Amino acid sequence: MQTQIRDKPSFANIHVRLEPGDQIVAEADAMASMSSTIDMKTQWSGGFVKGVLRRIFGGESMFVNTFSTQSGGELVLTQPFPGDIQCIELKGNTMFLQPGAFIACEPGVKLGLGWAGLKMFIAREGLFRLKVSGTGRIWFGAYGGIFQREIDSEYIVDSGHLVAYEPTVAVKIALAGGIFSSFFSGEGLVTRVTGPGKIYMQSRSFDGLAAWTNSHLY
Amino acid sequence: MEQTFSGGVFSDSLDGGRAGAEIELMPSGVGARTPDGEAFVIPYRDCQVEVGGFSGRMVFCRSADRSLTIFCEESKFPKALSFASSGMLDDQLKLGAKQRRSESRRGLLIGTFLTVGFLLLVVGGYFTIRSGARAAVLALPVSIDAQIGDAAMDSMDLGGPEVDDPVVIAALESIVDRLAPTAAVEGIDFRVHVVDSPEVNAFALPGGNMVVYTGLIRDAETAEQMAAVLAHEMSHATLRHGLQRIGQSLGIWAGVSLLIGDLSGLMGAGVDMLQIASVNSYSRAHENEADEEGIRMLYAAEINPAAMADLFQLMKENQAELPGIFSWVSTHPDHASRIANVHDQVAALPPRKYREISVDWPEVKRRINQDDNRENAEVE
Repeated sequence: MQTQIRDKPSFANIHVRLEPGDQIVAEADAMASMSSTIDMKTQWSGGFVKGVLRRIFGGESMFVNTFSTQSGGELVLTQPFPGDIQCIELKGNTMFLQPGAFIACEPGVKLGLGWAGLKMFIAREGLFRLKVSGTGRIWFGAYGGIFQREIDSEYIVDSGHLVAYEPTVAVKIALAGGIFSSFFSGEGLVTRVTGPGKIYMQSRSFDGLAAWTNSHLY
Repeated sequence: MEQTFSGGVFSDSLDGGRAGAEIELMPSGVGARTPDGEAFVIPYRDCQVEVGGFSGRMVFCRSADRSLTIFCEESKFPKALSFASSGMLDDQLKLGAKQRRSESRRGLLIGTFLTVGFLLLVVGGYFTIRSGARAAVLALPVSIDAQIGDAAMDSMDLGGPEVDDPVVIAALESIVDRLAPTAAVEGIDFRVHVVDSPEVNAFALPGGNMVVYTGLIRDAETAEQMAAVLAHEMSHATLRHGLQRIGQSLGIWAGVSLLIGDLSGLMGAGVDMLQIASVNSYSRAHENEADEEGIRMLYAAEINPAAMADLFQLMKENQAELPGIFSWVSTHPDHASRIANVHDQVAALPPRKYREISVDWPEVKRRINQDDNRENAEVE
């Protein structure tokens, strides 16, 4: 299976070339176009209960589609909002994704839903997060560009910008500065992440977009 | 004894710098084997232990130059590591666990603090706005009550034709006139409407409109008992229960709109609500208040307030035979205490000389029954 992320970074989409025997699992509604030789099978994402939980809490759909082919074909997968797409390869390790970030994965990857905790909710990252583990590539998307950082000591990320992180990364909620500057700098709460581990961040946040849109509605 | 755990490894020599791994506690040190078969070992004496990660329970074993990290989150791992290293790493493990405990304690403390603060804010805000709404309702001019009440009256389905028999109307109006000077609020124009319906009921709208059903007139044995009904209903109007109820039912947003002075929204919503809601469903507290105020008015107007207790008693007895009729005094057990309250209040009043109401009550009742008979005859 050959894949390529095109139109980076604003309107990234995944071009997949499937050979006979290849399979790719994608979020429902991620498919933008495909060859007629590709078969699509829709399944509950990890079973009925998990699928429903993923829908309600994970910001993902209840179903996933598995694409395969008898004779080869092409497939384009995309995400609903403008922004970059990142591919990472799992080798038995685990990643946490913010709700709604997951786009596609290879069949060896396990998709799970985990309780992220109240602190992540306060950090506007959602009460739940997706846990991907196993072996294989996964693709996830973000709003705006994606930048990554290998952290070993402490690093600060504004709330709403964290897209993916490893379980080895500790996340703490903190004020951006003192009480005054935290409220008037527009930064408010930030997340302090401590390594070792890798984090992926998005260059825009949905909260920022929502606040900007609201201010222009009336 | 060798034990394996599932975990992971960070190393620059790995493609991508990381991999999941099977962790093995070997005699020589902490070992990790990736799915691709690469193996790593950190001797116990070189091992730097840290505790952290997202869960705060992950144990990191790092080489002296920190180029290699083996980590595991399994709950049995720290004990096994301590055992396998013959206690060499205990100090570091304890330190990590202690740090974690103090951090989680601090987190819990801050979390509790924030939660309590948030709850206080919500509860405090709710009551501030609610009491603010009540105060705002009472601060509104009485003319608002009349506007809302009149609008509701005009568009309301009263459940029967209005009775215009001059004797009946005059009788009720003379009772209202006798009670009106004792009203707690000035400027309310009390108007009584009689509606032909078997319902044993009466209700008051904000601003002085009152409706009495002929069913209740038929049940009342004396003019004093009817005066008790009217005093109770007039009290709902003077105590402004209707507006308060609108304010409460519309909740916090009505409170806010009242406080910022948006009356037109309140008018519309209030008129709608008075029409939809069952007309006598004031809260129990409001009913008790109206009973109390009604008794005060009757006493002040030199009408024997015992009539209210008599009427309640009478209706309680009558209703036992007529369950389900929408009635002025419900026989619900809750209301037994209401009746007892009225008895107590009446009994506690100092004795005074009461004046009779100069209304020919039997004649009023005869007129009502006559109307009924005439209607029945017309139907036949």
